[in-house]
Amino acid sequence: MERKKKTGFARYINLVNLGVFVVVTSVSLPIYWLVISSLKQPVAIGASPPQYIPSPFSFANYQQAFSQYGFSQYFINSMIVTVAATILVLGLGSLAGYGLARLPMRGKTTIMLTLLVISLFPGIAVIPPLYLMMRTIGWLNSYQALIVPYTAFNLPFAIWILRNYFLGLPKEMEETGRIDGASPLRIYWSIILPQALPGLFTAGVFTFTACWTEFLMALTLNNSNSFRTIPVGIALFGTPFNIPYGTIFAASVVAVVPIGILVFVFRKSVVSGLTSGAVKG
Amino acid sequence: MKIHSKSTVKRNPRKRAGKYAITIATSALVLSACGSSSTSSSSASTSASGTSGGITTINWWASPLGGAGDRQKLITAFEAANPNIKIKLISAPTNTDTNRAQLITQISGGATTPDVFMGDVIWPAQFGAHGLALPLSKYLPASYFAKFAPGLVSGASYKGQVYGSPLFSDQGFLYYRKDLLAKANLPVPTTWPQLESEAVTLVKDGLVQNGFVWEGNSYEGLTCNFMEYLASAGGTVVNSGYSASTINSAAGLKALTFMRSLITSGASPASVTTMQEPQAESTFVAGNSAFLRNWTYAWADSQNPATSKVVGKVGVAPLPTFPGQSGPGYSNIGGWNLYVNPHTKHLQADLTFLKWMSGTAAQTTLGNLSFIPTVESVRQAFASSTTAPPPLQIAAKTKLVPRPSGTPNYAAVSQAIYANVNAALSGSTSVASALSTASSQMNSALGGGL
Amino acid sequence: MVATETKVTEATPTSKAASKKLRDRNQILLARLGWRFTTPSLLVVGLVTIFPISFSVILSLSNVTLSGNGFSLGGFTFNNFSILIHSSEWRYALAFTIFYTIVSVLVEVILGTMIALLMERLSGGRGPMMALLLLPWSIITVISAELWQYIFQGSYGVMQQIFSAVGLGKPVFLGSPTPAIISMMIADIWKTTPFVAVIVLAGLVMLPGDVFEAAAVDGCSGWVMFWKITFPLLRPTIAIAVLFRILQAFGIFDLPFVLTGGGPGTSTTSLAILGYKAMFQNLQFGPGSAVAVSATGLVLIGCLSFLKVFKSQVNSGE
Repeated sequence: MERKKKTGFARYINLVNLGVFVVVTSVSLPIYWLVISSLKQPVAIGASPPQYIPSPFSFANYQQAFSQYGFSQYFINSMIVTVAATILVLGLGSLAGYGLARLPMRGKTTIMLTLLVISLFPGIAVIPPLYLMMRTIGWLNSYQALIVPYTAFNLPFAIWILRNYFLGLPKEMEETGRIDGASPLRIYWSIILPQALPGLFTAGVFTFTACWTEFLMALTLNNSNSFRTIPVGIALFGTPFNIPYGTIFAASVVAVVPIGILVFVFRKSVVSGLTSGAVKG
Repeated sequence: MKIHSKSTVKRNPRKRAGKYAITIATSALVLSACGSSSTSSSSASTSASGTSGGITTINWWASPLGGAGDRQKLITAFEAANPNIKIKLISAPTNTDTNRAQLITQISGGATTPDVFMGDVIWPAQFGAHGLALPLSKYLPASYFAKFAPGLVSGASYKGQVYGSPLFSDQGFLYYRKDLLAKANLPVPTTWPQLESEAVTLVKDGLVQNGFVWEGNSYEGLTCNFMEYLASAGGTVVNSGYSASTINSAAGLKALTFMRSLITSGASPASVTTMQEPQAESTFVAGNSAFLRNWTYAWADSQNPATSKVVGKVGVAPLPTFPGQSGPGYSNIGGWNLYVNPHTKHLQADLTFLKWMSGTAAQTTLGNLSFIPTVESVRQAFASSTTAPPPLQIAAKTKLVPRPSGTPNYAAVSQAIYANVNAALSGSTSVASALSTASSQMNSALGGGL
Repeated sequence: MVATETKVTEATPTSKAASKKLRDRNQILLARLGWRFTTPSLLVVGLVTIFPISFSVILSLSNVTLSGNGFSLGGFTFNNFSILIHSSEWRYALAFTIFYTIVSVLVEVILGTMIALLMERLSGGRGPMMALLLLPWSIITVISAELWQYIFQGSYGVMQQIFSAVGLGKPVFLGSPTPAIISMMIADIWKTTPFVAVIVLAGLVMLPGDVFEAAAVDGCSGWVMFWKITFPLLRPTIAIAVLFRILQAFGIFDLPFVLTGGGPGTSTTSLAILGYKAMFQNLQFGPGSAVAVSATGLVLIGCLSFLKVFKSQVNSGE
C-alpha cells in the first residue's frame, strides 16, 4: 500500500477501501451465518440446500434460551466474574507492567520468563489440582473461585502487553513530572496511565473476552446453577444426543453483545488514542 | 443439630505396591485441617447437601434426558413418595466425555457430592477399578438386581461387584422412510446388503438426497456402530479374558469392508464419516435421508413437528444382519446407570433413591417418556402395548451386543477402534491395515498403555 | 519524595562521590518501589498457579494411580516420558501441533499486521470496525467450533453449497485429513487474526509520529517506510502477539475437540487433545501430565529461540 502525495490520493483511498471491504466481508459472513441460524426454526437447521435467509424468522430459540434454560442467571454470573477479574487484572497488571518497564529492578528477565512459562502451561493439566486447592480452602461454588484464578491466569499476558506499551512511551513527560516533584504513584496515575489507554484497552478487552469465554475452570469449580457462567450454561443445552444448534447460537449471539457494548463505551478512548497517532507507515 | 448418618462408607482400602504411596487429596485436606478446624464443613459446602430437621438432602448429578422437565418429573414423584428425602438436581454437561471428566475430578478430589450420579453404561469397570463408584452389590441384596433385563447387570459389573443400577436402556434401531419405500416398491431391509442396494436405488431414482446415514465420525458412537456390523458378521473385538484383541479377523474384515462399501457404492454419503448423532438425525428429519441408524430418542424427534419434516412417514425396525445369519441383526447397548459416590454421607437416602428409580412407577414414567425401561417386567409391559412408542415395542425383539467395556482400559480400547475404523471409512488407509493397526493399539491399551 | 531529593542533589554541586551515592540510593528506592508495584501481581499469580503446575510436574514424574481418594504417587520415574517417546500417537500429535502452530500463526500474524496497518489508515469508522473485528474473538471457542462444523458439514453445510454452486463438486471438508486440517486452520485464523490485529494496532498507535514525518519529508515510499521504520519499531509488539499466539495455538484444544474430535482417524489430534484423552478418558494421569509438561518444555524452547531470533524483547528496558 503506497502512500503518495495528493496525486495518488484517489488510488490510495481505493486500496484501503478495497482492503476494508475484504476484511469486513470475511469477518462478517460467518457471523451472519451464526445470527441467521439462531433465527431459524429447529426443523430448518438441517435443510439442504440451507436457507440463506430464515423463512419464517423465528425467535423461538431466544425465547427458549431464556425461559427453558435460565440463561439470565448465567449472564449475571459471567458479568460479575468477568468484570471483577478484568478490573483486578488491569489494576495489578498495569502497576506491575510499569514497574517492570520503568523502574530499575533486578531480575526482570526472570520475572518475565516465569510469567511466560505460567501462561503457557496447558489449562487441562492444572484443572484437577486447582479443584483440590479450591475445595481445600472451601471456595467451590463461589464467585471468587473463578475471579481469583482468572486474574492469575490472565495477568501474565496483561503484564507483558502493558509493559510493552509503557516501554514505548516517551520518557520526557515522566521526567518532567519527577522534576516537578510528583510522587512515583502520581506519575504513574496521572502521566503514564492516560497515555497508555490503547494498551490498557488491549489488555482489558483480551482479559474480558478470555474470562467471558472460559469453560473448563468454570465448569469444574462451580457446579451450582447460581454460580455457573454462560459457556457452562450453554454446555447444558440439549441432551447427550441432541445438540440444539439454534438455541446454542442464539445464546452465543446474546453473549457477544456485552463485548460490543464494551468496545462501544470505550470507543472514545481508543479512537482518540488512535487519532493522536496521526499518519504513520 | 447435626445428625451423622451411620452409613460412613468403607472405602476399599486399595493397598498400592509403592513403598511410599502418598495420597495427595487427603494430604491437602490435612493441610487445611491444620489451618482451620472446619475442614469437613468447608468440603460439605460444595452444595447444600445435608440433613436438617429430619430431612436429608441428596445431590443428583444428571445430564438432561430428553424434554426439559423430565428429570424434575421424576424428582417430584420421588419426593412425594419419600417426604424425608429431598433431591437437589445438578445438571451435568450434555457432552458425555466432559461429564465424565467432571465426575472424575470431583470424586477423586474427595467431594462428598454429588451423592448419586447418572453415568454411561460403559463406565462401571473404569469407575469400579479406580474406586470412583460405590460397589452397590455390597449394600443391596441380589434380589434387587434380579429384576433387571438380562445382560444389564453383568454390564454394570466389574470383578464380581455391581457398580451401577440400570436406569434406562438404549440401543441402535433402523429408522426408515415408509413413504419412500412405498414409492419405490421396496420392502423394509432385513440384511445389510439389501439395505445397501435399496439405499442406492432410492438415491439413483432421485427420490432422496442420501440413502443411509449413521454415525461414522471418529468418536465413541462409531465404536457402537462398528460393533453392530461386527457382531452380525460373527466377530468380536477382544477375547473373553480381555487380554488380547480379536478384531483383526475374517469377521472384522467382512464388517469393515462392508461399512466402507456403503460409502463407495453411494448408499451412504461420504459425509457419514463426519457424522455424530445430531448430524445424522438432522439430515433424516429434514427429509433428506431414507435410512437412519440411531438410538431410541430419534423416534420422538422424528415425530415432533417442531423438529421434523417427516412426521408420520417414519418406520422403525431392528437393525439388519448379514445374509446367512438368522435375523434380526445385533443392536449395540447404550443407556445410563445410577452410581453412588463412594464419599457420600447419605448412603441410606441414596439407596432409597436408587430403589425408587428402579421401581415400577419411575420405570413406567421413563417408558412413557420414550426411554427403554431396564426393569424386565416394565419393559415387557411396554413391548406388548400397542400404544407404546414403537422403539419400545420392538426393543424386546432385538439381539443386543455390548461394547467391550469390561476392562478399566475400555476408553483407550475404544479410541483404538473408532480412530482406525474412521480412517478406513474415509479411505485414508486400507481396511486391512486399519484392522491390524487397531489390533496392535488395542493390545497395548489392554495392557494399560497410552 | 524520591524525586525531590534528586532535584536537590542535582542543584547543589557537592562532591561527585556524594552525588553518586545519593543517585545509587535513589536507584535502590526506585527498585524497591518497582518491587512494591510488582509484588501484588506476582503474589496472585504465584499463589494460584504454583501448586497446580508443580503438581502436574510431579505427576508426570511419578507412577500415578488415580483412585476415589485422590492421586497415589508410587515413586519417581521417567517412565511416563518414555511411554510418550515410544508412542506413535504422541509423535504424530507433536508433529501435527508444531506444523499447525507454525502455519496458522504465520498466516495470522501477516494478516493481522496488514489489517492493523489498514485500520490505522482508516479515516472514519474505526470504532465500529474494531467492534466487528473483536466479534469472532469474543465468541465462545466451543461455539465458534460448532458454527464452523455447521458451515463445513458434509451434507447440509453452507460451504459445500458454495463449492458446488461454483462447480467445485461436493467436498466433505472434515472427512479426510488434509481438508480437515485446512478447515480447522481457517476456523482458527478467522477467530484469532483479530487478536493479532488489535495488539499490533495498539502498538502502531503508540509509535512516535515524528519519525514518520521525517521519513515522509525524505520522500520514503510506503513500502520502504514500513520495512525500514514501522516494522523495526513494531517488532516488540509483533513479538508479543506472536509469542502469545504460539502459546495458544500450541495448546489448541476446544476447536479440534468440537470440530473434528481429533479425526478423521487421528489426523487433527493435537497434543492437548491427546493429553486430555489420556487423563480424563483413560485415567492415565502420569502419561497425560507428561504430555502437558513436555508440551510446555518444547514450546518454551521454541519461544526462547524465537525471542532470540526476534531480538530479545525481554531484555529491552532492563
